[in-house]
Amino acid sequence: MKESLLDIVCCPLDKHDLELEVTEREEGEDGEIVAGTLTCTDCGETYPIEDGIPNLLPPDMRE
Amino acid sequence: MPEDPEESRGPTETRDALAERRGQNAPVYEPAEDSSLLAEAAVEHARGVTLEVGTGSGWVAQRVRAEGDATRVIGSDVNPHAVRRARDRGVEAVRADLLAPFRDGALDTVLFNPPYLPTDPDNEWDDWQEVALSGGETGRELIEPFLDDLPRALAPDGVALLLVSSLTGFAEVVEYAVDRGLRAETVAEESYPFETLSILALRHRAPDN
Repeated sequence: MKESLLDIVCCPLDKHDLELEVTEREEGEDGEIVAGTLTCTDCGETYPIEDGIPNLLPPDMRE
Repeated sequence: MPEDPEESRGPTETRDALAERRGQNAPVYEPAEDSSLLAEAAVEHARGVTLEVGTGSGWVAQRVRAEGDATRVIGSDVNPHAVRRARDRGVEAVRADLLAPFRDGALDTVLFNPPYLPTDPDNEWDDWQEVALSGGETGRELIEPFLDDLPRALAPDGVALLLVSSLTGFAEVVEYAVDRGLRAETVAEESYPFETLSILALRHRAPDN
């Protein structure tokens, strides 16, 4: 996931901003985020980033 | 009664025939005629930040990225196998339910080839292929919530290209979109043995002068 995706996505539940926490990033400047968490700045719901793909499904639609 | 034997097929037979043509057991929808029609229209119309909803294998998104004028192409899908395939093709992938995680007015172009086959609720497959093909009893079960949220996420001068099959009810889809403050224009159309596929371009309706 590119960090600039944060300009386009929001919390699917309340549309507030997401805060990014990176646990693994590709090397180099502007390296893509491989793993981390997106947290809603309002409701606090968390969304995982795994294998470079953010999972922004609402919690009741995740397996 | 229609005279063409293809026309007299029931919805279940039609669905099974389409599913077979499209690889019923695949966990990710493979590109078919509808994908080509959407890709051609998208290459022509897409610009700015472009999202393909339900990107499946990512084939349409990749073509738009390679051939169109979009500055950025994102593919979303509810299916985890699909988003991985799309990312492997070089498409920015997001796992999402329709337009739910996209900011207000953030999308200049939205592309959607929805699951549209009318499906008998007693005869569902309950797998990823069904998610990719079935539009519920009316065929519009995903199209309607998509149209409900589209005016929010679409940029003021943005355009959405929606693939609509005659099996889904073209007039019903147009009416639903118009009721949500959108205007609809057909930009491409092709007929096949048991359906006609149209690409509807949807834009915000300009305020009355």
